[in-house]
Amino acid sequence: MSPALAADLKIDSAMTLNQAKVGCDMQIRVLSGPGCERLRDLGFCEQLQVRKLAGGRNLICSICGTRMAISRELAEQVLVSPVG
Amino acid sequence: MSAASDAPSTIALIGNPNAGKTTLFNALTGANQRVGNYAGVTVEVKSGETFTPHGRKLHVLDLPGCYSLRANSPDEKVALDALSGQLPGEPKPDIVVSVVDASNLERHLQLTLQIIELGLPCVLALNMVDVAERSGLRLDPAKLSEELGIPVVPMQANAKKGIVELKQALRFPHPVVAEATWITDPTDPESGRRAFISRLCELAARRPEAHQQTLSDRIDSVLLHPLLGWISMLAIFFTVFWAIFSFAQIPMGWISNGQAVLSAWIESLMPDGDLRSLIVDGVIGGVGGVVTFLPQIILLFLFIGLLESSGYMARAAYLMDGVMAKAGLSGKSFLPLFSSYACAIPGIMATRTIDSAKERLVTIFVAPWMSCSARLPVYFLIIPLLLHEKEGTWKQALILFAIYALGTLTAFIVARLLRGRLGEDISPGHFLLELPPYRKPQWSYILRHVLDRALSFVKKAGTIILGLSILLWALSTYPKKPGADEAEALAHSAMGRIGAVIEPVVRPLGFDGRMGTAILTSFAAREVFVSSMAILYRVEQSDDEEQTRNVLRDQLAASKWPDGRPIFTPLALVSLLVFFIYALQCLPTTAVVARESGSWKWAAGQFVFMTGFAYFASLLVFQVGKLIGF
Repeated sequence: MSPALAADLKIDSAMTLNQAKVGCDMQIRVLSGPGCERLRDLGFCEQLQVRKLAGGRNLICSICGTRMAISRELAEQVLVSPVG
Repeated sequence: MSAASDAPSTIALIGNPNAGKTTLFNALTGANQRVGNYAGVTVEVKSGETFTPHGRKLHVLDLPGCYSLRANSPDEKVALDALSGQLPGEPKPDIVVSVVDASNLERHLQLTLQIIELGLPCVLALNMVDVAERSGLRLDPAKLSEELGIPVVPMQANAKKGIVELKQALRFPHPVVAEATWITDPTDPESGRRAFISRLCELAARRPEAHQQTLSDRIDSVLLHPLLGWISMLAIFFTVFWAIFSFAQIPMGWISNGQAVLSAWIESLMPDGDLRSLIVDGVIGGVGGVVTFLPQIILLFLFIGLLESSGYMARAAYLMDGVMAKAGLSGKSFLPLFSSYACAIPGIMATRTIDSAKERLVTIFVAPWMSCSARLPVYFLIIPLLLHEKEGTWKQALILFAIYALGTLTAFIVARLLRGRLGEDISPGHFLLELPPYRKPQWSYILRHVLDRALSFVKKAGTIILGLSILLWALSTYPKKPGADEAEALAHSAMGRIGAVIEPVVRPLGFDGRMGTAILTSFAAREVFVSSMAILYRVEQSDDEEQTRNVLRDQLAASKWPDGRPIFTPLALVSLLVFFIYALQCLPTTAVVARESGSWKWAAGQFVFMTGFAYFASLLVFQVGKLIGF
């Protein structure tokens, strides 16, 4: 991640999907980590909106109208910022 | 017309899991492949035929679902091989039909773009447009087609809408290969694709602004609730098991009555003799004893089909992930293991959706310890004998539950130990599962699938079990000793001699030679045990099945060792139950394990381990039980 992008994210109050509140709409900012290719295949792409539906051992999110269950380890690799 | 155009073109259906490829395949070819509402129901390539509106033949391939052209799990690898023409026996496809769920274009188009990049002629089947439009999505197929440069066919495969239009698109001349205009920077195709898709969806698939709460969301708020979710899951699975055992009683009664009528009819027609004995004791007794369990098997497959088709199975897998993690597995192992309660074979096939190769091997290894339906006849024979009761009391249900629990618990412990030994995966796979929207069950497919399973069971009864019943009857009848009473005749027969040879091996488990022989025959198929015992203990077939089992039980309770002690003490019966819980007595399972794990060693190792485990567990139960005075 470039320092400029990192600074941007800080201003945008970016957080991981694990830290996001349940029921909130978030925008995906950056994917980083070993699971990112798999996440992109499943539709977790930068710029897309995601809504966290449930937390816990595995998270449930709604992305483009589909519900996905993903593990905390994977959610840790998704950086999001609140929409609006 | 040129010669090349006479040969049928090969069409491959590809798309993300649960996009409706198999539904489309069935609609195109008239086949009845199994359709579910769970990612990864299709695990191998299916092929069929269809015709264009001009009567030219098309060869259609249904590929397992995949999220991208990187092969992550074995079923995705199969899809990839088929696409590049590396699948043995199948030609490289001439046209690829990319099946997408119209409500999920942002995700599903990723794969379509990758296919176009491969340089294959592609047609986009925009499936489930009805669902998408109902959710407020405004689709513009013409715009999509223009931007992608490929034919786009809006359709609704489950209602057979759009099939003719799709076939029109598959006519000669084949659609031209589209250009991948989105790749601006070849080193980073990913971001090019992403930008293109988001622009495309902006243009041709406008979403309503607000996040709407769908019916599925509302159902999920209960079924996935941390507390209510568990309560509902327990209630659902309890109802399923209860329904299987109680509903099945009625048709089971009909089957055994029919059998008794048939035996009586043959007895009235034929004079007493070897042939009548063969037909009545060998064939009707042997095969009939096993066919009685058909209703239970049908119900189990029906409920599993319903749970899967409605979309609940994915929720159960999500909830069970935490529990499965204690055994070193993940929620993805839940469906294969649960299916194994019906039969280990479809269960083992279903492991193909597990991404982690090691988790998959472990799941395959322990699947046969989920007590399958073939063991039920044995349990039903032994449990009442153990309690000296008639069939069907709550104590027996409790013991049955304990049997299931023992098998499952041991499987989890072994899975955990084995998972620890195999070590971590090279690339850690994480739990990732699509939770499909709840749908109305597709009854026609479920019923056809259940019918297939029922027919294959009946076929097994008509072949393996029939053959073994006749063989057993012959072995226990010949060679004859004139003038001897029944017990002497049996001891003189081939079976009696085999029994005498095995007896020292099974004696420490508390079994006599006849039980040893019956166990030996049950290695081909467990159900055979009941008919073997009936034949070996010379039980007359009577008016109804329950009666027959009662007579067999009386016979067993009365049988004694030569020194006058009863053979079937409670301890010996528990030892027998333990043996059946653990022993891997099913040849087809071993064959499927060898194929799915890709190694005969793994299958042979599993067989030796499980059978050895069964022997020593029984030995332990019997010897320790004897020491402490049972």
